[in-house]
Amino acid sequence: MPDTLSPMAQMATIGLRDAREALRDRFVLVAIAALTLAALVSFVTGAIALNGDAATYAQAKALLLKLGKDASVIAAPELYPLKLLRGTIEQIEIMGAVIALVAGYRAAAAERGNQALALILTRPLHHWQYLAAKLAGGVGLAAVLLAVVFTVTGMLLPWVSGVALSAGDALRLVIAWGAGVLYLAGIYALGFGLSLWARSPAAGLITAFALWLMVVLVAPQIGDTMDPDNQVAGGIYAQLSVPKAEQDRIKAGFALYETIRGGIEQASVTKHYERLTFAVLGIKDSYTGKPLGPILTEKRGDLLFLLFFTLGIGGVVLLRPINPDRLTKET
Amino acid sequence: MTVMLIVRQALSGIVRDRGVLLLVVIFAAMVAVSAFLGWSATNTVNAIYGQAVDWLTAQGAVVPPNPMHQTPPLASLRNLPVYISFLGAFAAIVIGQELVEAERRAGVLPLIGSRPVPHGRVAVARMLALLIATAFLITVAGAVAILALLSLPLQMQVADWGALAWALLLGWTYMSAFGLLALGFAARLQGTAAGLLAATVVWLAITFVLPALTGNVNPTAAINPVSALALVPDTPVFHWLSRLLGPVSLSEAFGWLEARTMGYLPEGLAPRAPLPLLGLWLAFVGSAAFAFHANKTLDPNGGCDA
Repeated sequence: MPDTLSPMAQMATIGLRDAREALRDRFVLVAIAALTLAALVSFVTGAIALNGDAATYAQAKALLLKLGKDASVIAAPELYPLKLLRGTIEQIEIMGAVIALVAGYRAAAAERGNQALALILTRPLHHWQYLAAKLAGGVGLAAVLLAVVFTVTGMLLPWVSGVALSAGDALRLVIAWGAGVLYLAGIYALGFGLSLWARSPAAGLITAFALWLMVVLVAPQIGDTMDPDNQVAGGIYAQLSVPKAEQDRIKAGFALYETIRGGIEQASVTKHYERLTFAVLGIKDSYTGKPLGPILTEKRGDLLFLLFFTLGIGGVVLLRPINPDRLTKET
Repeated sequence: MTVMLIVRQALSGIVRDRGVLLLVVIFAAMVAVSAFLGWSATNTVNAIYGQAVDWLTAQGAVVPPNPMHQTPPLASLRNLPVYISFLGAFAAIVIGQELVEAERRAGVLPLIGSRPVPHGRVAVARMLALLIATAFLITVAGAVAILALLSLPLQMQVADWGALAWALLLGWTYMSAFGLLALGFAARLQGTAAGLLAATVVWLAITFVLPALTGNVNPTAAINPVSALALVPDTPVFHWLSRLLGPVSLSEAFGWLEARTMGYLPEGLAPRAPLPLLGLWLAFVGSAAFAFHANKTLDPNGGCDA
């Protein structure tokens, strides 16, 4: 890397080297293929299940009409195309996060494994420039990865659902993509930082995986499991045939329990990403068909949490100097 | 050099590994939390049922039976299999990876290869070390579970303790299958952490992709002890996929077996494949065979990372 290069050019050199390596060893292609496949599996199986519900409804309706009865007593299954993305979003939450962690680990291990980082640090290059280039690479990877996932599923949506997407739907997909990029970039920064600071990159990866288990799986799982409606197949209120108003009254009596449950869920960035995207895409019933403006206003807390999470971890990674002595102890 | 000497050396390396220690601590803590969660959630549902009964009676409506009525005490630990299937399995994967990776990084593989010890014996020793480590993990889980059950107001019968022992044995089998897989991958793939990543990919596919294919169970539902026990949607595609992929959908087989053992299996819910226990044991034996072969044929020069 010539000394005459501008700081931006130096950063671009580091970023491009990483990109070339990721393309050469097919990591990017494998990552894109794996997440797209997982997302498509959830998307297609969700669509098949919905078609099954629609067929069952049609049969039941035909039977009622044949018997001369009122068909309106059975509710028709709702068809909102974006609702089919529930599984896709959940795969991004879990599989996407693993890919981001591994990408962060690779970015740190690339120069640590062969001591190239120690050599790079002897050059007239600020630590933050090296780190910023790596973080920008992570944002780029997340953007491309999710662009492929949302483009493929977005193209399949009208075909699978039989309903064309409106411009508003496209905007909702773009917002979900942006939130996903923020989420995965934060996880990438976590994997990168821990793999860079740890005694060895592999130890950093294991610590990052432990955190992933806690933040992405355990915390949301606890909140989900503590939900009384998830204790009984089909939901406790549905089984007891209690109307919504009475449900709300009963729930009010368990405010402390719900506060603890909600608090555990809210400690997880994954849950904020899920709440934001489920609301924007109308996956959660209470937001289905509602205009985007009020949803974004209501969910700005989740968006801010995502922003602070990603900028916070990115900032810590950027500001913490690299310890060259630590690197030379790498085994 | 005896098998036990290699086992002792391997285990002492694992004990010193902070990553493994971190996972063991998290695992033990979550087992304790799981007992409280199950008990607390059951109490809350019972309280909700009580209030709903008051309202239904006042309305003159039919009062359905309490869906949580006569839930066996072990059902309070229904989160335990979930934590075994992701925290325990991942800890086993890390241990399997470390058993080979630590020797490769330290550069002792050529030394081991130069000794007059059959490679098969070294492979058996590594597998034994892994099985002892996972047995330790499940023993910790069992001890924490027993403490939690004794400290909660639950009436445990002798049969319940037997069921807990069987549930833990199933958990050990499940965790060890993934640990052995990682042990095999770590021997076969020489890149740093490559074995860890390969085993993790298999684990992710089994936990989050196969349940979607066999029963439209989304990832979040797949790690919920109740939601994961879903009926196969009544469409030809799912019936066909369930028959085809059910035998390899290991996490669903494990979840079903644990739910039946611990008494929270919904009535009439069939497993995805006819013989889930056989599937679990076959997965264990298959992983063991792979780990043995990969370690027996491991390049004693340690590969490019040595």
